[in-house]
Amino acid sequence: MSVYTQGVVALMGINILMALSVYAIIMTDQVSLGNAGFMAIGAYTSAYLTVKMGMPIFPALIIGALTSSFIGFLIGIPLLRLEGLYFVMGTFGFGEVARTFFMNFEPTGGAYGFRGPVGATLPMIYGWVLALILFFWLLSHSRLGRSLDALRDDHEVARTIGLNVTVLKLGLFWLGSFVAGIAGGLYAHYMFYIESGNFHILVSAMAILYVILGGMYTFWGSVLGAVIFSILPEALRFMEDWRLSLYGAVLVLMMIFRPSGIISRQIVRNIEDWIGGIFRKASV
Amino acid sequence: MFLQQLVNGVTLGSTYSLIAIGFTLVLGLLNMLNIAHGDIFMFGAFLGLSLAMLGIPLYLALILAMLGAGILAIIIERLCFRPLRKAHFLMPLLSTIAFGILLQNVATQIWGSEPSRYPQTTEVTQFQLGPVLVSSIDILIVAISIFLMLGIDQFVRRTRFGRAMRATSEKAQTASLLGVDINRVIIFTFFTSGAMAGVAGVLTALVYLQITPFIGIRQGLIGMVAMVIGGVGNLRGAMIGGLMIGIIEVMNDAYFTASYRDIILFGLFLIFIVFKPEGLFGKKER
Amino acid sequence: MLEISEVTKNFGGLRALNDISFQVDEKQIYGLIGPNGAGKTTLFNLITGFLPATEGSIRFLGNELTRLRAHKIAKLGVARTFQNIRLFGTMTVEENVMVAQNIRARSGITSLVQFFSAKEKRFRDEVNELLNRMGLWEKRKEQSLSLAYGAQRRLEIARALALEPKLLLLDEPAAGMNEAETEDLLERVQEIRDMGKTVLLIEHDMSVVMGICDYVAVLNFGELIAQGTPDEIQASEAVIEAYLGREEG
Repeated sequence: MSVYTQGVVALMGINILMALSVYAIIMTDQVSLGNAGFMAIGAYTSAYLTVKMGMPIFPALIIGALTSSFIGFLIGIPLLRLEGLYFVMGTFGFGEVARTFFMNFEPTGGAYGFRGPVGATLPMIYGWVLALILFFWLLSHSRLGRSLDALRDDHEVARTIGLNVTVLKLGLFWLGSFVAGIAGGLYAHYMFYIESGNFHILVSAMAILYVILGGMYTFWGSVLGAVIFSILPEALRFMEDWRLSLYGAVLVLMMIFRPSGIISRQIVRNIEDWIGGIFRKASV
Repeated sequence: MFLQQLVNGVTLGSTYSLIAIGFTLVLGLLNMLNIAHGDIFMFGAFLGLSLAMLGIPLYLALILAMLGAGILAIIIERLCFRPLRKAHFLMPLLSTIAFGILLQNVATQIWGSEPSRYPQTTEVTQFQLGPVLVSSIDILIVAISIFLMLGIDQFVRRTRFGRAMRATSEKAQTASLLGVDINRVIIFTFFTSGAMAGVAGVLTALVYLQITPFIGIRQGLIGMVAMVIGGVGNLRGAMIGGLMIGIIEVMNDAYFTASYRDIILFGLFLIFIVFKPEGLFGKKER
Repeated sequence: MLEISEVTKNFGGLRALNDISFQVDEKQIYGLIGPNGAGKTTLFNLITGFLPATEGSIRFLGNELTRLRAHKIAKLGVARTFQNIRLFGTMTVEENVMVAQNIRARSGITSLVQFFSAKEKRFRDEVNELLNRMGLWEKRKEQSLSLAYGAQRRLEIARALALEPKLLLLDEPAAGMNEAETEDLLERVQEIRDMGKTVLLIEHDMSVVMGICDYVAVLNFGELIAQGTPDEIQASEAVIEAYLGREEG
């Protein structure tokens, strides 16, 4: 694999993680436009720990993500009380506060950025990707996953069957900010250099686009959306300049004609049934 | 010195007020957040630029940019809001995010991602009013802003259509039962909000003298901040909020460090959203 | 079992419920009737914690419900159905029922690694039994919204029953049903009572009410205008006046 291709694949892994971080929050019917902020916290924290304090990468990643998710938890408590649109605006605000904070924070380089974090390899990145895919797969087949579906379908009725909607929302928000923190840490340790411009609101917006395109009712959609958006630039080399316009236009149309995205829940169900059928036949 | 900064702040602030008014009209009326609003602002600025480059006098360019931006807003309503009226409320939001990205890319293709300079088309004269230096541009900006804001305010308060708008904002179903043509109200509201953003775009370009396809992001955000601080749905709140933000920004740059500017503004935004979402003047008060 | 005492609910200037008091005893089928807009669903919303009461108290098995949040109330054993059927649209029939077991089953983060356990098997059997009882077995893998109207109602009730509630609140369960379906529904409600549960039901259709209720409370414009057995209510002047022109079932 050429160095260039390696880069594309690595960034694809990071994109998948960011998409999943958005998905976790969408599972509770909320949209976060601020995950780039959590990514930044994870990135800078873990980078600081490895570069300035000599910590090995794995614990640094975890601590970075715990930091971003802790802040996510604190911010989530007041934000989740807000109505949907205000929640979005709040996450918007948070993302920008985080970015401009790091733009000014001297210990991590301020406007000059932070140089030095190394250690993220492709296997490491995809190790995390696979671990999270497994996690979401287990989640979608568990009772907890069912509770989340109910919440999303009708959060009032979900309460009448005893579900603590507030706790569920906060928990998934924590999860989303954790995953974004991991994505940030891996990004920092792969790219060797980070600066606040890397965590621009467009990063949050793109992650949301991955989820919508791929399918927002199943985690596979986030994976697919991120993969498509990562590979497409290569395939669409010839129309490189107009790529973003194409994405935007496709998404606007998709919202009108197929809001559930490419992979709908029914498709996943069908595929799983089909696979299950094969296993059954094999074991007979 | 302080007065000078105040004047600068008011000038900048009035452009923010215009953006905020656009946001608050749509959010207050239809409970919809148009994330692409900042990009309409950007488009208006570039339209004005192109027209000015063609030698068209400023005042005409301003009006044409206003119209163009208004039409763009109507297009957004058609594509991102109307077909999704029955859908989950987050869908239009997501659609406008996508549309914003589209607009930014289109603008980059047409005008380039490098900053474009605004041509000097009018004679700029400086007036010395006591200790303060005021340029004709400043006066123009504030005058136009005030004119438009008062115009909209009076329109919403006094005319029949304005009342129709307020009725729709209260309860769309009831309004339509009372004979209000909801679609017309919606189209008009979007047009106005876009037109405001377009004017703000041209005026802001006159202040900063150079624009990029990405200015919409920050300016749109600031407009959102002004809207929330003033109180969503509250026109007067949006005006005052915008002025406040402009003054805070200028004061910060003058007496503090420019680099902390955005943290302070967005921090303020976050604080208001969390602790006082109804803003300083309350929601939906026309 | 359920004590409503001097409950009042104001919406700004509008008084939706005024000083309502009545009591529902164990294993009763208690009817709540009244013209449209009388405040019946509002009362349900107060009981289930969807809305806070302005004044008064609602006690259930010794717990003060007006102070509790909706999900806590459900955990205490109060389940409800809705006037305009609210099923979980993206789930299948059986999933709708299964999810209502979550507060009794292991449904937190540990449920991700839950594979085979005796407890889960029991829950599964419970779901199957409920589906069977409600005549939904054949359609169990169908999307919930693809069901016919009557079946959707039964599903909503099955879901409520999966909570193992002590008190079941049914909001106009017979709405939109024909005679045969209504008969069927009434039988099921009796069965539910025979299972040891208490039922509080809102209905419009007098025949339904007279048919199965032990006691009835009548609301009109937020006021409790009559309470008693179905026969007493039928004879009551106040009630006849409220339903002016309507034929009692």
